[in-house]
Amino acid sequence: MATAELVHEPRARSMAEGSPGPIGRDPNTRHFARVGWGFSSPAFGVIAAFTIFPIIFAVVLSFQNVNVTGSGFGLQGFTTANYHAMLTAGLWHHALWFTTIYTVVTVACELVLGTVFALVLERLTKGRGMMMALLLIPWSLITVISAELWSYIYNPTYGVLGEIWHVITGASPPNLLGYPLDATIALMFADIWKTTPFVAIIVLAGLVMIPTELFEAAEVDGATGWKTFWKVTVPLLRPTIGIAVLFRVLQAFGLFDLPYVLTGGGPGTSTQSLAMLGYNTMFTDINFGPGAAVAVSTAVIVLVMCLVFLRAFKQQVGKETISA
Amino acid sequence: MASISIEKVTKIYPNGFEAIHELDLDVADGEFMVLVGPSGCGKTTALRMVAGLEDITGGTLRIGDRIVNDVSSKDRDIAMVFQNYALYPHMTVAENIGFALKLRKIPKAEIKKKVEDAAAILGLTEWLDRKPGQLSGGQRQRVAMGRAIVREPSVFLMDEPLSNLDAKLRVQMRAEVARIQRRLNVATLYVTHDQVEAMTMGDRVAVMRAGLLQQCDKPQVLYDHPVNLFVAGFMGSPAMNLFDATLGEGAATALVGSQKLELPSSLHAIRPALKSYANRPVIIGIRPEDLPVAGDEPAAIDEAVYFEGDVELVEALGSELLVHFTTDAHRVEAEGAKDADSEGLSAGALTKGGEGVARVEPRSQLVVGRRVRFRIDPARFHFFDPASGLSITS
Ligand SMILES: Nc1ncnc2c1ncn2[C@@H]1O[C@H](COP(=O)(O)OP(=O)(O)OP(=O)(O)O)[C@@H](O)[C@H]1O
Ligand SMILES: [Mg+2]
Repeated sequence: MATAELVHEPRARSMAEGSPGPIGRDPNTRHFARVGWGFSSPAFGVIAAFTIFPIIFAVVLSFQNVNVTGSGFGLQGFTTANYHAMLTAGLWHHALWFTTIYTVVTVACELVLGTVFALVLERLTKGRGMMMALLLIPWSLITVISAELWSYIYNPTYGVLGEIWHVITGASPPNLLGYPLDATIALMFADIWKTTPFVAIIVLAGLVMIPTELFEAAEVDGATGWKTFWKVTVPLLRPTIGIAVLFRVLQAFGLFDLPYVLTGGGPGTSTQSLAMLGYNTMFTDINFGPGAAVAVSTAVIVLVMCLVFLRAFKQQVGKETISA
Repeated sequence: MASISIEKVTKIYPNGFEAIHELDLDVADGEFMVLVGPSGCGKTTALRMVAGLEDITGGTLRIGDRIVNDVSSKDRDIAMVFQNYALYPHMTVAENIGFALKLRKIPKAEIKKKVEDAAAILGLTEWLDRKPGQLSGGQRQRVAMGRAIVREPSVFLMDEPLSNLDAKLRVQMRAEVARIQRRLNVATLYVTHDQVEAMTMGDRVAVMRAGLLQQCDKPQVLYDHPVNLFVAGFMGSPAMNLFDATLGEGAATALVGSQKLELPSSLHAIRPALKSYANRPVIIGIRPEDLPVAGDEPAAIDEAVYFEGDVELVEALGSELLVHFTTDAHRVEAEGAKDADSEGLSAGALTKGGEGVARVEPRSQLVVGRRVRFRIDPARFHFFDPASGLSITS
């Protein structure tokens, strides 16, 4: 029987049950435990200083009246004005709207395309490694660099796309990044180009874990390729797809570098994501309180999304076993 | 319902390995055909070609009157039980069993009824809402059977469906599968490497070895008249005793080790071809149950032949004794006979150069280390040509 368990629950449990006994009794073990804590304490220190402290500090800032002067900034008392201003101003709403649409569209496209790529890759008998290497090039580029490349491609005066447009239509090319909708689509396109391979690799990993006999059984049962895909492949890929979506949604919601380089959030503020809004408010406008409020609000939204998502996929992520 | 006709079917895998060589096999409508052979002999390959899961390199495959070489497996109207069940892990037992029917757009109510009927036959009713992951191996095996039987296909294909079960459940399911097959009366090709299954379940048994069909006949015929050394050694547990021997002048005697057996003329009457082996080496075979201890044999034997050995080990099985004895004769190991021993009773026993096994009456008085004398009906001997391995039949 081919059994591929995604999470080895029994093992995890037995370790948890097996360990508490000896620790703490045997002086030797206690000594080792102390040494262990000693060795990990620098890491804990770093985490506390660079992760936990900033989070707490950001939350505190967002609820403070921050006064910035030439010699630093002072916290001048508790206030909810930062949040009030954020929720009533249009910028935050627009950024939230933009980021959400952007996330939904790119993740959906990447998922569909990535699955198609994975299915093709799985069929490939020859040159699979080679194809995978080629496919991963966009993913391996640093975003800022690929954004620069795309800005060259999109450039209306000397860009490749404009030139192609010119050759085909004879008209002078439009400024793609000059209109809100076009700029948004251009951003999404660059993102999909870059991240689809990542999704494809994850889905491929899930695909190869499904025992071949299941597809053969489906064929013998009389299922067409299409039926097999929807009734067998997709349900068995659900845990994998769930993880890919989780990763991608978290990443896409923190969108920053691509629009920062490619559009600068423009035209106007039409492609300004939540992360950019927070950054701009804090460091361009030097408005720490409202900036922190944007950052905290984004974090809360992401956190809620994760919880909802994990709840929805609770059955699949971790619990599902693929056994034939 | 239909028959399966395999004509000169050959399979060469992409890496150039010829797994099946010109296989000829006919399974009549309603017949239970067992395909048996040692590991790697091409049983699964043959079955998968019939199922349409493997391309046919050469030859013709017919299901009913239709040539199906190029028909995809979903259009062959077959049902297959996979060796490892291949149940859909995300579907409940009921959904697993009803999947093929659902694909055929059969009304829900009818599917439900058929699934429940199949579940009742297989004793799965209380597990219909479980997922395969929550079932025991035996239950999964029955679900796999259920998935096949609701279909009412024209052909059943089963690849070692009982191999994962414990001995007791296997015996139970053996009868169950045979019963279901009789009831549905569908041409069945059943793969196993267990010759007990082959003997007990098949209307006919086809023995394969290294991609070649050796013999295909009724189980008893296969057992009584194996065409060659391989089949002789493969069928039967414990396996047939095979010794090197030399026939004497006029084939009237056989020298087995240092013992000279007198071969009576009645034997020559049924095996005239033996004469041509006079003064030549042969391989002589005798099944363990054809070696009664002198004095204990059930009926008087005319012109009995005596054969002796030293008792080395006695295994008491209650209903019978398995006597392991040694002689100075040279024992011939038929290739593949070891694989057949999955339920072999003598599997644990030490084998020595001239060792043989006899299956004797439980009351026989035997003492380890003492000499034992067997009284053999000469008609029970098998003779094989040592060069070709073929049985010297006529
Ligand atoms: N895809 C393949 N490519 C090349 N050779 C293969 C392939 N599949 C099987 N073979 C070879 O073909 C031969 C027959 O394999 P097959 O699976 O039919 O054996 P089997 O009789 O079913 O054995 P078992 O009883 O162990 O299941 C084996 O020698 C095997 O190594
Ligand atoms: Mg096999």
